[in-house]
Amino acid sequence: MKKWRISNLYLALVFIVLYLPIFYLIFYSFNVGDTMDHFSGFSWRHYATLLSDSRMISIVLNTLIIALLSSLIATIVGTMGALGIYSAKKATVKNGLLSLNNVLMVSPDVIIGASFLIFFTFLGFSLGFGSVLLSHIAFSIPIVVLMVLPKINELPKTMVDAAYDLGASSWQTLTKVILPAITPGIFAGYFMAFTYSLDDFAVTFFVTGNGFSTLSVEIYSRARQGVDLEVNALSTLMFIVSLLLVVGYYLLGRYNQNRRLQRVKAAEAKINQ
Amino acid sequence: MADNVIEFKKVNKSFDETRVLNEIDFEIEAGKFYTLLGPSGCGKTTILRLIAGFADVTSGDILFEGQRVNGLPANERQVNTVFQDYALFPHLNVFENVAFGLEIRKLKKNEIKIKVDEALKLVHLSGYGRREIAELSGGQQQRVAIARAIVNEPKVLLLDEPLSALDHKLRKEMQGELRDLQRRLGITFIFVTHDQEEALAMSDQIFVMNAGKILQSGSPVDIYDEPINHFVADFIGESNIIPGKMRQDYIVNFDGQDFECVDAGMKPNEPVEVVIRPEDLDIAPIDTGQVNVTVDTQLFRGVDYQITAHDAMNNEWKINSIHPTKIGQTVALAFDPEDIHIMRYGETEDDFDARLETYD
Repeated sequence: MKKWRISNLYLALVFIVLYLPIFYLIFYSFNVGDTMDHFSGFSWRHYATLLSDSRMISIVLNTLIIALLSSLIATIVGTMGALGIYSAKKATVKNGLLSLNNVLMVSPDVIIGASFLIFFTFLGFSLGFGSVLLSHIAFSIPIVVLMVLPKINELPKTMVDAAYDLGASSWQTLTKVILPAITPGIFAGYFMAFTYSLDDFAVTFFVTGNGFSTLSVEIYSRARQGVDLEVNALSTLMFIVSLLLVVGYYLLGRYNQNRRLQRVKAAEAKINQ
Repeated sequence: MADNVIEFKKVNKSFDETRVLNEIDFEIEAGKFYTLLGPSGCGKTTILRLIAGFADVTSGDILFEGQRVNGLPANERQVNTVFQDYALFPHLNVFENVAFGLEIRKLKKNEIKIKVDEALKLVHLSGYGRREIAELSGGQQQRVAIARAIVNEPKVLLLDEPLSALDHKLRKEMQGELRDLQRRLGITFIFVTHDQEEALAMSDQIFVMNAGKILQSGSPVDIYDEPINHFVADFIGESNIIPGKMRQDYIVNFDGQDFECVDAGMKPNEPVEVVIRPEDLDIAPIDTGQVNVTVDTQLFRGVDYQITAHDAMNNEWKINSIHPTKIGQTVALAFDPEDIHIMRYGETEDDFDARLETYD
C-alpha cells in the first residue's frame, strides 16, 4: 500500500466528478415518478414510453444515418485531401493548405453553423436532411485530414520508392501500399468524424429545418420544457451501447495480439524442429 | 562493349543550386560485383537513384544495355533495389512482401509460390513466409528485402547501404552471404557503402567517390596498393602520408633522405606525396632500419598493436605491429622499396593509369 498517494485521491475525485452526473441520470431513468427530485420507486415506465415514441425513434435513426453517411463521405474526401497535402511539392503550398484545414478545425461551431445557414439560404437550398448532411460532411473533413496526415507522414519515403521499384504503377502503389499502410489512420478519422457528427448541436441547430431533427437538437428543445425522464432512458441506452463498443474494441485488440503471439510461437517451433 | 549493362555518359545532377554529381562517366559490366564507396554526401546514393529511376539527370545520358533510359519511370526498369531501411511493406507478411513484384506482373499463383519459396530459401528464410514483418529481427528483415528484390530476376541489383543497420558480427556474415549470392545468381550487384572494409571484402570493382566525382576505380587490390591521391589513400585503410620530392625515376626523397622506390614517370624534383601503409612497417632495433622514430602511443587491438611515433623531422608515423614496444623508446622502421607508393598532386585517373602503363 506504499503506492497510495495524494495523486491517486485526485484521480479518483476527477473520475467521480466526471461520471457522477451520468450515473445520476441513469439512476433516475428507473424512477416511477416524473421528476428527478426524489426517487419514488423502480420501474421500466420511461423505457416503455421511449420505445413507443415513434418520433424519438425516427430521430435516433436520422441521427445515425447522418453520422454514418457524413463520416463515410468525409473520410473519403479527407483521405484524398491528406494525400493531396502530402504530395504538395512546395513547402509553402503544403503549409498553406494545412493552415486552411486547421482554421476550420478551431473555428467555433456557432460561426460555422451561422455561415452555412447564410450560404444555404443565399443559394436557395432547402433546409433539412440535405443541408444537415452537407454541413456535417464539411466540418468532418478537417478532422479526417488531421487524423490521416500524420500516418502518411510516418510512411517511409522509400516504401513508395520500393513499390515503384517492384513495378507497381501509381494507382497500384496507392491501393496496394499507401492506403493499406494508413488504414489505422483512416479508421481513426472515420470514428472521430462519426462521434463529432453524432453529438453536434450548434451547426445542426442552425442548418436544420423542415421538421428534420437530430438527437442533440431534439433533446435540447425538450429540455427547455423541463427534462422528461424519457430522455434519461434514452441516454442510459446510449451509454450502455458506447460502453459495449469500448469493451468490444478492447477484447478484439487482445484477441488479435494473442493470435499473433501464438502464430509466432508456432512458426518458431516449426523452424526449430 | 556489348557486355556493359549500364553506362553513364557525362552525367550531372543538381538539386536546386547544389551540384551533387559532376561529369560522371563509368561503365558497368554484366555479372560483376561493383561498389560505390565514399563518405556520406558524396553522391553515391544519387547515382543509385538515377539507375533505379527515382530521380532524373540534370544533363548527360544513362544507357541500359545500350539503350538510353533517361526519363524511363522506375516501374519500367529491369533493376531492383534493396533499401537502407529495407522499406518492407508492414501490412503484408513475409511471403506477400516477396510476392509483391510477381503479383504486379500477374504471374500465376503456383508459379509465384515456387519462385517465392525459392527466393526465401536462397536467403535462408524457408518457413518464415507467414510471419509478419514486425515479428522479424533486423537481420531477417534485411534478408526479406533481398529476397523481395532478387525474386524478380533483375538484370542489376542495387543495394543502398543495406548492412549499415546491422551489428558487426551479423554484418560480416551478410557480407559473405551477399558475395556468395551474387556469384550464384550471376547478376550485377551495385553496392553503395561508406565502409571501406566492406568494399574491399566484397567487390570485384570499386568506385571511390568524393564530392560528386569518381576519384578512382579499380579492383580492391589496385585501389589499396596504388591510391591515386591523398583522399583515396586516407579513406581506404590507414596510411602514413609524407610530403616528398621525386629526385628521378625510382628515387624519392623524403624525411631528409633518398629512398629507392618502384614508381616513375614524374618530372625531376617534382613535389609528391609518399604513402606507406602501417602494416608494411617493421619495427627493428635502433639504426638497423631506414628511419629512426620515438614511440608516442601504443594501443592493443587484439590482432595487433597500433603504435604512433614521430621521427627527427617531426613526421607522424602509424605502425601496426604484432610485437609490442615501449612508449618513449626509439626504434627503427624497416620497409622495402615496394612498400613505398608515390602520388602526384592533382593527377587525373586517366593520366595515372597511363603513367602506370609505361613502367608496369
